[in-house]
Amino acid sequence: MASGEFERHALEHLDALYNFAMYLTRNPPEADDLVQETYLRAFRFADRFTPGTHLRAWLFQILRNTFLTFYRLRERESAIADDGVPDWDAPMFHDAPEDSSSAMEAHTDLERALRRLPEEFRTVLLLAEIEGMPLEEVAFVMNCPVGTVKSRIFRAKERLRALLRDYKQK
Amino acid sequence: MNERFADASDEALGQLLAAELPRYTAPARLRAAIVEGAAPPPRRRAAWLAPALASAATALVLVLAFLPLLPRTPPPDPAQRLVRAVVAEHERALMWGARNPRIIPAALPWLTQESGIGLTRVFGGDDRLMPVGAEPVYLDGRRGIALYYRDGDDHLVTYTVLPAPGLPVPDRRRVQIERFRPALLHEEGFSAWVWKQGDLACFLVSDMVSEADLERFKDYFVRVRTATEPVPAY
Repeated sequence: MASGEFERHALEHLDALYNFAMYLTRNPPEADDLVQETYLRAFRFADRFTPGTHLRAWLFQILRNTFLTFYRLRERESAIADDGVPDWDAPMFHDAPEDSSSAMEAHTDLERALRRLPEEFRTVLLLAEIEGMPLEEVAFVMNCPVGTVKSRIFRAKERLRALLRDYKQK
Repeated sequence: MNERFADASDEALGQLLAAELPRYTAPARLRAAIVEGAAPPPRRRAAWLAPALASAATALVLVLAFLPLLPRTPPPDPAQRLVRAVVAEHERALMWGARNPRIIPAALPWLTQESGIGLTRVFGGDDRLMPVGAEPVYLDGRRGIALYYRDGDDHLVTYTVLPAPGLPVPDRRRVQIERFRPALLHEEGFSAWVWKQGDLACFLVSDMVSEADLERFKDYFVRVRTATEPVPAY
């Protein structure tokens, strides 16, 4: 079981982990569950964490692995529709409230575009651009080389632009 | 409003993402639930605990004393470990897999999107093997694709592709089949052909383990191997 100090340090990252979980699951109750499960595992396996290394990256890695292992497994059971193709446009989390301001409109399109990216692309953008993680930490979370992270960021942005152009034309 | 996103440079797009995307804050009840979950349960010492612990400690000492004499299971090599994961997935499909012959052609773009693996050519079935389903898989920390086929005797045959750069295919298990040399591994009563195509490891699993079945399983391997071309998509 984790020490009080470890728990305190780990909880400093709660908001960042929750934000990440929201973008992964697109569903507040599932984000709650995912974050709670992440902390449960982190506290249970606190002895595996090497003090002095990046606690934040370690926690994000646990969260992502938990998501991939459990949530995606469950999601895929229901994701394949009768024709074998998932319904990409099905709303998976509560949209932001309607607002006439242009800023909110941009939020909606940007979020919509972001959530249509494959998980690897979405995750690199969230970690590198939103959380401001160094590429080495992103690579640790995603368990891949730094070069792969760089190329995924590049390609994720390309796809994001293409999606936003589509929305603009519509 | 989308113009500034759609036409932004990489750096500017990163900054816009950080500035424009809404940030979600953890609800207070979540923090409370986590803190509560982390608190150790109240300690109660039962009267029977001391003798039970003493017995357990004695048993542990005995086990440790005889541990070097016990038979050991060597850790599986990387290929065997992957085969174990692939066979477990095959078993899951045997138990709960959906049968949908339309899935393979229709679901390919989605499979590529989900797994990062593309199939430039794919075995779509023939008079011996009928496609019954396809899905992305997450095995041994890797994303991949699994395609399921069924033959006339109702054997389920699972073709799985996983990224595995550097995975050695065990040489002493290799079998020459026409111009190919896949390795034949066994796990949990199932047979698996294992081969590499670039940085991707491919597996064909079935319950065909007898000598007679093996010839047919070789034939299935050739059918799938020659007609399927997996490539890393991103």
